[in-house]
Amino acid sequence: MKNTRKLTALVSAGILALSLTACGGGNSSDGASSEGGGDNTLTVWTWDPAFNIFAMQEAEKVYQQDHADFKLDIVEVPWDDLQTKLTTIAQAQSWDELPDIFLMQNNAFQKNVQNYPDLVASLDDSGIDFSEFPDGVKAYSNVDGSQYGLPFDAGTAVTALRTDVLEEAGYTVDDFTDITWSDFLTKGKDVLEKTGKPMLSGQAGSSDTIMMMLQSAGASLFDAEGNPTITDNATLKAAVEQYKELVDAGVMVEVNSWDEYIGTLTNSTVASTVNGIWIVGSIQTAEDQSGKWGLTNVPALDGVSGATNYSANGGSSWAISSTGDFDLASDFLKSTFAGSTELYDTILPEAGAVANWILAGDSDVYAEPQEFWGGQAIYKDVVEFGTKVPSNNTGVYYYEARDAVSAALTKIIGGTDVDTALAEAQSTVEFAMQ
Amino acid sequence: MSATVVDEPTATKRPRGSMSPSQRRNLTGWVFLIPAAALIAIMSFWPMIQAFILSLQTGRGSNLDWAEPLWYNYQRLFQDEIFKLTLSNTFIYLIIQVPIMLILALVLANLLNNPNLRWKAFWRTAIFLPCAVSLVSYSLVFRTMFATDGFVNDALMWLHLIDSPINWLGQAGTARFVIILGLIWRWTGYNMVFYLAALQNIDASSVEAAKVDGANSWQTFWFVTVPQLKPMILLTAIMSTNGTLQLFDESFNLTRGGPAYQSMTMSHYLYEISFQRNPNVGYGSALSYVILILVAVLALIQMKVGDKRD
Repeated sequence: MKNTRKLTALVSAGILALSLTACGGGNSSDGASSEGGGDNTLTVWTWDPAFNIFAMQEAEKVYQQDHADFKLDIVEVPWDDLQTKLTTIAQAQSWDELPDIFLMQNNAFQKNVQNYPDLVASLDDSGIDFSEFPDGVKAYSNVDGSQYGLPFDAGTAVTALRTDVLEEAGYTVDDFTDITWSDFLTKGKDVLEKTGKPMLSGQAGSSDTIMMMLQSAGASLFDAEGNPTITDNATLKAAVEQYKELVDAGVMVEVNSWDEYIGTLTNSTVASTVNGIWIVGSIQTAEDQSGKWGLTNVPALDGVSGATNYSANGGSSWAISSTGDFDLASDFLKSTFAGSTELYDTILPEAGAVANWILAGDSDVYAEPQEFWGGQAIYKDVVEFGTKVPSNNTGVYYYEARDAVSAALTKIIGGTDVDTALAEAQSTVEFAMQ
Repeated sequence: MSATVVDEPTATKRPRGSMSPSQRRNLTGWVFLIPAAALIAIMSFWPMIQAFILSLQTGRGSNLDWAEPLWYNYQRLFQDEIFKLTLSNTFIYLIIQVPIMLILALVLANLLNNPNLRWKAFWRTAIFLPCAVSLVSYSLVFRTMFATDGFVNDALMWLHLIDSPINWLGQAGTARFVIILGLIWRWTGYNMVFYLAALQNIDASSVEAAKVDGANSWQTFWFVTVPQLKPMILLTAIMSTNGTLQLFDESFNLTRGGPAYQSMTMSHYLYEISFQRNPNVGYGSALSYVILILVAVLALIQMKVGDKRD
């Protein structure tokens, strides 16, 4: 009797130990992919219920019209967590934990595909016609000539302006269309003097504006071989100096957090903002400002070769994971995000999801005047801007370089000499690349 | 009682004749220890060994190779300007915040231990409560309070102490100040509870004896109470040092390490290296070993200096 009890205790302790170890080892059973084939269900990881999750749900409905038993299992994973998950899965080589489809930020594509060649499936054999997407957005997810992402959310840059404030200072949206940054500065000083409102706001220690200026001239922080070109980069220097002039003149105010930045827009603190089209969603939360906004292209850099009035900030693309059900997933994406105007007709007005798929721009929905924007058909304009965005090389070390330039920018605003600060940033990136 | 009575005859009978009672007890002890020991070995020690092996490798993402020389990642740390900056940031927090916090905790514990104090339970709870708040939420609250248009600036402007809002989180000095303030707010009550517990163990007669001998309250506190609290002070000092060297949440949530890495801690940098940038896990592992060594060395020094027991 006593021995049996001992044995039971021992066995149960052993089972406990085993089960605990199993937990630590990885709970691969849940959240795993649908193991391909047969069951017609795809697992999707994406992050914004009002935006890309909504778009996926609509895409599911579109695809179900022809494939009645098709289903999506959409899991909400915030981008930062998604990136951490991808890194962890790839590092542990537990590929079967990947979903079939996931959304990836455009700027992270090069890094993830090159660091983990077994993570994302190439879409070259997917049958998707990539000529129907603008070059600028395709470049993010194109590695060594192969296309790895289906561009979804356009980060096309726009200048959104408060028409009522401009009017007070005697300007219209047209005065800010097809202009250069020095024009913008001159007019901005005038607006500041007459209305007391600065033109722009931005997060201190963020180089988003600089990156948009760079891309508008087709420039980046890397050369074609992937070497950092933070020093000896005329476009970058022009952009940084332009930025400092804007801040010094008080035309651009720096705030500390994203919330504060959004606050400057919705509380009527500033007269305009330059950002990706997705900023429209945040602006439109200020319902009392309906009809008081206008939208145009971005200023171009002065004296820089290849400078245009078109740029981008952010954006994301759909990827099929290496272990996903490729045939089903690629057919699904091809028939929806790369082939259904019906889908874009739904998700644009509901979620403000501006298509990267050029053909969607022909849809009537895009041409509809937007009341909030004073009757301007902003989405039609944005799709057109998007086709003109110069492509640039984000590179594998995009985030390292961007952070280094952000740090340099903070120092330059604080009074450090431009060349010194940029040289420091260059050596930081070179060090990170060793 | 009854259990021992039942046990005895079984032991004296020795049914198998192979083991003495003490051996048997020993074996039982070991059997009970094995699951826990195995778990600790698998989940704690094995990853540590793996991390060390990893710290001898370099490469981006999953393309790892042995480093040349093997200690390359450790060598690299000495050339890393950002690492040096995060190291000095962490030590600034350690040197300024830990002494202030511990002294404050000691004083508060002593005040709250006063038998004549009213609302004692209320004060104790109020001071302890901050450390029951989630690290993320308190960081976010501090962040909102110290925003340029936040509560602190509004209050200071209203009191006419400043003319224009201070950019608390946007300047190196003030950003570090906010982090230190946050740490003190969050952890003082936690350490106070340790001191309160230790104070309960101090014999009241020693304090009374000091008073009878004519010591004033400061002298009683410094020469009678504090020496008896020494083991507890040592414990809290080691725990605080350990915690501060591994500081992550405040740097990550409050200031994002900014401006320009000026308030970033070592652990936050470790996270950036391992997850947010191109994952360089080899280098990250080397960094985590450096943090481990720093914690161990500092704890050792404190034990040598602080513990005079033979």
